[in-house]
Amino acid sequence: MEENREGHGLAEGKILSVWIFLFVAFVLLPSIFRVSLGICHCYVKIVIKMLEWATLQIEEGVKKQKAMALENLISTGSFPHAGIIQRDETPMEKEVVGRCRGCFSLADVMYFSKKGCEAVAEDEVTRRFSSEELLSWNLLSRTNANLHHVSWKLAAVWVTGILIRYCLLLPFRICLSVFSILLLVLATTVVGQFPNGRVKGWLSNQVQMICATLGVRCLSGLVHFHNRENKPQKGGICVANHTSPLDVLILASDGCYSLVGQVHGGLMGLIQKSCMRTSQHVLFERSEMKDRHLVRKKLREHIADKAKLPILIFPEGTCINNTSVMMFKKGSFEVGGTIHPVAIKYDPRFGDAFWNSTKHSIMTYGFNVLTSWAIVCNVWYLPPMVKEEEEDAVHFADRVKAVIAARAGMSVLPWDGGLKRKKIKESFKEEQQKKYCQIVIENGSVGSGNVC
Amino acid sequence: MGSAHSVPAEMRELADRTGFTSEQIEHLHRRFKQLSQDQLTIRKENFDSIPDLEFNPIRGKIVHAFFDKRNLRQESDGLAEEINFEDFLTIMSYFRPIEMNMDEEQLDRFRKEKLKFLFHMYDSDHDGKITLQEYRNVVEELLSGNPHLEKESARSIADGAMMEAASICVGQMGPDQVYEGITFEDFLKMWQGIDIETKMHVRFLNVDTIAHCY
Repeated sequence: MEENREGHGLAEGKILSVWIFLFVAFVLLPSIFRVSLGICHCYVKIVIKMLEWATLQIEEGVKKQKAMALENLISTGSFPHAGIIQRDETPMEKEVVGRCRGCFSLADVMYFSKKGCEAVAEDEVTRRFSSEELLSWNLLSRTNANLHHVSWKLAAVWVTGILIRYCLLLPFRICLSVFSILLLVLATTVVGQFPNGRVKGWLSNQVQMICATLGVRCLSGLVHFHNRENKPQKGGICVANHTSPLDVLILASDGCYSLVGQVHGGLMGLIQKSCMRTSQHVLFERSEMKDRHLVRKKLREHIADKAKLPILIFPEGTCINNTSVMMFKKGSFEVGGTIHPVAIKYDPRFGDAFWNSTKHSIMTYGFNVLTSWAIVCNVWYLPPMVKEEEEDAVHFADRVKAVIAARAGMSVLPWDGGLKRKKIKESFKEEQQKKYCQIVIENGSVGSGNVC
Repeated sequence: MGSAHSVPAEMRELADRTGFTSEQIEHLHRRFKQLSQDQLTIRKENFDSIPDLEFNPIRGKIVHAFFDKRNLRQESDGLAEEINFEDFLTIMSYFRPIEMNMDEEQLDRFRKEKLKFLFHMYDSDHDGKITLQEYRNVVEELLSGNPHLEKESARSIADGAMMEAASICVGQMGPDQVYEGITFEDFLKMWQGIDIETKMHVRFLNVDTIAHCY
């Protein structure tokens, strides 16, 4: 009996040590030295092959000709405008034109009612606050509203996919994330004990980067960094488009930044406190965020000190679904200093990285991300930009926004991300109405008022 | 896992009645759910969440039109409190473009329906006539954004337009004749010869079934 138990104990011990060895060799060491073993790469290739096959299967159930076109689209990963209506882009001037001065025509009501119907059928803004629609199903049940049966083969692959994701990948990913958070807390406590100086600075940078890399590994993240020569330097401000909290993790795995953010509680708070111990982040209380002068002052102080890490800011202010870039708030563009734009574009086929904070809590979102295929994204470091002499902050913000959107292949919208929760400002409404009035009235003089 | 093989019966009935294809209906249904926040009906407040609509000077009238029982082809009169998806589709169908295979009679009926929709937008008290006051209301709403325009100017534009309408419909009026208002027949007369089919439609795309997902 004793021997049996011993035997079991030995066997278990052996299995455990094998696991630990594999873990250290394939996960921990590569993260520390930031070397990629290409495991994620192979995995992603396999997933792509599977998705292409799945799409063909689906197409065989529908129409054969469309399969060819779809294959092309998948391989390029492009996403054409898929909407329900084709908007009539004729500007107001042309529709309402060609009449006598001061004329009012019944047809004008028609133009506006048509525009109204278009807006009700589909609007550019609220589309950005829900997840991007995929061209073809990516075998995640959450992206398919109507689970109609196409073929047994597809169903089998889908079920296998579920088993792999939930039973194999999920536990592994959860363990890894728990491990990396613990490591972060421990390491920062240890490094925090060091006296302030260059050694501490270097160590804390290493710790942050290693933990962030581990974090990215936990999501089976495959990140392609482009143009590394443009990486943000000390004393600058790094500006990026915002899709989810993962943006921070991804950028932190390749460089060290000071984060600007609100003080959180819970797990996020714990992570924030650990990071604060070793490097200089700028954190605000919620109440302080409203005081823009205070924010600007703190930012200015931070960038004035050239030894401090670049600040990472997301000027959109909220998460957008990665198909467009919304209005950049001008606050961070007013403080001066060099702006380093960064464009982040996720590949939606492998999993939806967008955090819809009105729909999902952070825990649900975290669970969704951990059970997706992978997180694949491209990060482009763009050349630094500086505000010109006569430029005002808003114009500069728009310039930076256009550069980021162009690089990532996203559309530019002038709307405020805050529309997710608030209503539109009155001044925007009046602009449109003023335009119409001008056309009808033509410099304030009123004509005979004929119906034309 | 792909497109539906069998279209449910209600869907086909809706498609026949409103003229949309089943894919378009599915797409619009998603939009309906988004606007109604997953409820079964939409109320006026739900239209507040459309930023593009805020730009429109006659926003009030457009939202009103969605709840107008006359547009919903209901026997009763007045305004509905809330509308379901079928009503939503009915209103949207007023903006469908004309199809190639429509014959004379269908075209004529289609045109009349669109004009009736427009008529209801003007006739806010539901009495079947567009009075001078109602006409003025519409013009003022359209021109309301301009701070430089005085109410008087807007009024005179409306009056001028109304007089013109009267002369088309009734011919020369005597000095003591009172023009009560534009009836629907007069309204139709005013639009004779004007091509509304191209102006009052929204190009709904024919979203063919490529395996689309949520």
